[in-house]
Amino acid sequence: MADTATLSAAGGSEPAIGRGLKGLLLVAIPVFLVGWLIIYPIFAAILSTLFVAGPDGVQFSTASYQFFFSDPYSRANLALTLWTTSICAVLLLLVGLPIALYLRFSTSRFADLVQSLAIFPMFVPSIILSYALIRTIGPNGTVDILLNAVGLPKLPTPYLTPWGPVIGLVWDNLPLTVLMLTAGLAGISSPSIEAARDVGAGPIRVFWYIILPRMGNSILVTISFTVLGIFSSFTLPYVLGPASPEMMGPFMLRTFNDLYDPLNAKTQAVISFVFCLFFGLFYVWSIARNQRSQSR
Amino acid sequence: MIRSYSSTSGRFDWMGLAFAILLVIVIAVPLLVVFTWAFTEVWRYPSVIPQKFGLRFWDQTLSRADVWEALFISLRLSATVTALSALICLPAAYAFARMKFPGRDLFFLSFLASHAFPKFGLLVAIAAIFLQLNLIATFWGVVLIQLVGTLMLMIWIPVAAFQAVDRRMEEAARDVGAGPLRVFWSITLPQAGPTIFAAVLLTFVSTFYETEGAWLIGAPQIRTMPVLMINFINNQVVVQYGAVLSVILWVPSFIALIFARRVIGTGSFAKGFGA
Repeated sequence: MADTATLSAAGGSEPAIGRGLKGLLLVAIPVFLVGWLIIYPIFAAILSTLFVAGPDGVQFSTASYQFFFSDPYSRANLALTLWTTSICAVLLLLVGLPIALYLRFSTSRFADLVQSLAIFPMFVPSIILSYALIRTIGPNGTVDILLNAVGLPKLPTPYLTPWGPVIGLVWDNLPLTVLMLTAGLAGISSPSIEAARDVGAGPIRVFWYIILPRMGNSILVTISFTVLGIFSSFTLPYVLGPASPEMMGPFMLRTFNDLYDPLNAKTQAVISFVFCLFFGLFYVWSIARNQRSQSR
Repeated sequence: MIRSYSSTSGRFDWMGLAFAILLVIVIAVPLLVVFTWAFTEVWRYPSVIPQKFGLRFWDQTLSRADVWEALFISLRLSATVTALSALICLPAAYAFARMKFPGRDLFFLSFLASHAFPKFGLLVAIAAIFLQLNLIATFWGVVLIQLVGTLMLMIWIPVAAFQAVDRRMEEAARDVGAGPLRVFWSITLPQAGPTIFAAVLLTFVSTFYETEGAWLIGAPQIRTMPVLMINFINNQVVVQYGAVLSVILWVPSFIALIFARRVIGTGSFAKGFGA
């Protein structure tokens, strides 16, 4: 679908200036909201954590950042978040890529079923998913019941361990991963693959030499998007994860709401921004580039 | 989605069957378990099937005042946010799709900012601003923070819808003397309508389930359904309360599932996220 982006030149017989003003007025409120509630808070958070009111006026200080990186508990939370995010990104690619490849090349009647199933989690809110996973893989959950029924011992439950959120987050993010990878695969022309097959390339060689180089960008965009989503995810880690250490999302909420400590909460937020900076920039850059190439 | 009609025709699709079975197990089973719990009165480990089915816990859950209160707050919030979002975003989407004005491309891309930062970090930064404005624990504070989350969806998808409208039909209508409003009402809206409706519906549903902002800004006064649900899970009250609540909570999503399939099945949705 190229039309998402084609900001084609607008026609019209009205004088250009009047039309331009009208356009600006129509977009004014949403653009103002972006400025006031996204751009400004981010700069405010950065500045207000670096310039802190001290005994003799506002001073430059990195104390809250020094505290974060010297506090073992904060560091453990950050480490857990980085671990969870990278494991989830790898697992999502390992699960999503085969499904996307299958959807791209299959012509059988299972393809529609597989697509519907893979997209279905998009319509399951994470709060319902958390509850469902507790009942399924939690202690004495369905998995335990079924293992017991066939005479096998219980498995150690991932509930309240770091693997709990991993399972939930992979489940929750599978639809977008599959959709974005399938969209990337759709851009690879069938003739190029047929040609490689005709000269005797097996499926693995076709994947490695033809498909992978052409979808590198969409894989990176998919990873960026999932990393941004998972790094500061809240509901699933809060419900399924361990209480200590905790992921950055629950950590920030607790610091802000329970400890009434906006300064340290903002510091944690800025640190999250910094760790995700590369992925955010890449995401915006690649969409902006798509927009430009499509609008010609 | 484009598929090549070459490779797998003829043979039985074992791979498809394997994918389908695996996905059914992983995706359907947890949901089926919740559904079963909602209609169960007694289910003791290690029985595979509940000892006693029944609707007793539906009565109990639905007679709780906190459930109704949370439901009304959630509905009021989602309706307000969706209405406001449609009111400010749809005209803007029309302008982005059809008008030329300085800074258009930059403004259009600026909505990406809401997706370019880790969400919870952004929410905390906003909450710090709201703290100074005394918007914490107020209805309108939650409305504002949820409104920000809907901007990109409510602008990017309708822009695509407006651009997909056949311009020649609009011009033809204008040629036979239809005014701009008439053209918009009779030509543009009917063609762009279904996609815009899907965007509005998705906005309503995603706002209904929004948990982080509602909790961070709304706590403790504004308690929405998802926040109440987290309380139920944390406080380990009767298992069935959570299950019944899950089934009730899933209704809006189910409606969205039916209506939004056509939008999501096409590539435009994934494109909206930058694939």
